[in-house]
Amino acid sequence: MSALRQIAFYGKGGIGKSTTSQNTLAAMCHYYGQKILIVGCDPKADSTRLILHEKAQCTIMQLASEAGTVEDLELEDVCKPGAGEFHPEDDTITDGYIMCTESGGPEPGVGCAGRGVITAINFLEEEGAYNDELDFVSYDVLGDVVCGGFAMPIREGKAQEIYIVMSGEMMAMYAANNISKGILKYANTGGVRLAGLVCNARMTDREYDLSKNLATQIGTQLIHFVPRSNHVQRAELRRMTVVEFSPNSEQAMEYRELARKIIANDLKVIPTPLEMDDLEDLLMKFGLEEEVEEDAVGKKAEEL
Amino acid sequence: MFVCGYHFPASMGNDVSMDVVIDRVKTESGDLSGLSTIEVTGETAKGEIIETFTIVSGSFLFTALADYYNKSDVPEKDGFKMVYFTNKYQISELSKAVDGDSTKDFCRKFDDMNLYRIKVA
Repeated sequence: MSALRQIAFYGKGGIGKSTTSQNTLAAMCHYYGQKILIVGCDPKADSTRLILHEKAQCTIMQLASEAGTVEDLELEDVCKPGAGEFHPEDDTITDGYIMCTESGGPEPGVGCAGRGVITAINFLEEEGAYNDELDFVSYDVLGDVVCGGFAMPIREGKAQEIYIVMSGEMMAMYAANNISKGILKYANTGGVRLAGLVCNARMTDREYDLSKNLATQIGTQLIHFVPRSNHVQRAELRRMTVVEFSPNSEQAMEYRELARKIIANDLKVIPTPLEMDDLEDLLMKFGLEEEVEEDAVGKKAEEL
Repeated sequence: MFVCGYHFPASMGNDVSMDVVIDRVKTESGDLSGLSTIEVTGETAKGEIIETFTIVSGSFLFTALADYYNKSDVPEKDGFKMVYFTNKYQISELSKAVDGDSTKDFCRKFDDMNLYRIKVA
């Protein structure tokens, strides 16, 4: 048995982080027999629905609220086996399996969302969820919120390797750079490292070049470019990963290749985030924005 | 890091030089003398083939695509194998640098957002 690897997928909200992480983890299980625990750290609680074939899993915070306190919960209440081929007792396709849990969060507008993440991780550790049989624990975390709670998996030696899901769009790149700053902050105290960028492509012009250059400049690699595909949406409507829905499709092959690289990846670095000016220069260099003269700043299109 | 499907150890850093990658691909590809052409198709997201190309031997582009075809275990469709998007961009970047004008027009197409499939003969 190899040592447990704790990885995390970070990225801006709406970037396709949960879709990317679930499909990649499904590929790690389906094609490579990996045993995985997913810890969803997004208040939307959608980090495991494609593995469970459910609308949304009951979260630790939700169940704790119903039971009174988190101490009243049992591990079995919050940690569910994946559906179909991802179930530990189903070895027809793979010896691997996926267990699923969601931290959840408070009602919108009430309390601290990051608090759920802290409560969930502490509970899972105390209840022995991180057992010796697992190959990977994977956290799925929002990355556009500057909040200590969402930084929890990269603090105190929880997630050791971070994959940032991004695209060639400006805000996704801005978020990726910001997450790198968070990793840098905890790199020396907690040992967390940046393991790569995953471009969940929007199919914008020169998206590969832009993503690769950002990766190189912040000291990491563009580990994989995942193209956009309607197959993913078709599978999601059935609450499935594309790996399970159509395992021989081109899109499933892309996730398989990403899974292979993550399993073999040894490039884990302390990132060197860019200054905002350098990030804007990068966007201009690769044509995402036309170079703008100083006197054009703030002017409307019809004024130019 | 990973380039053209090959793993380069972390000790080599995050920006492995083109020369090192090219050497690796040429070495790993072995004897390709039995191959003369590679058929390439480009298709839209809806599966409509809009372009076909023939790559002849004698370029790094040919070597890298032939090596990919021989090593990849993606399912075949009428003898064609899909090319991972990451790999096609990496192969294109390398080819533009070392093959010069001979592959320039093809690489410009290869850089687009369509899915490409290849078949060696």
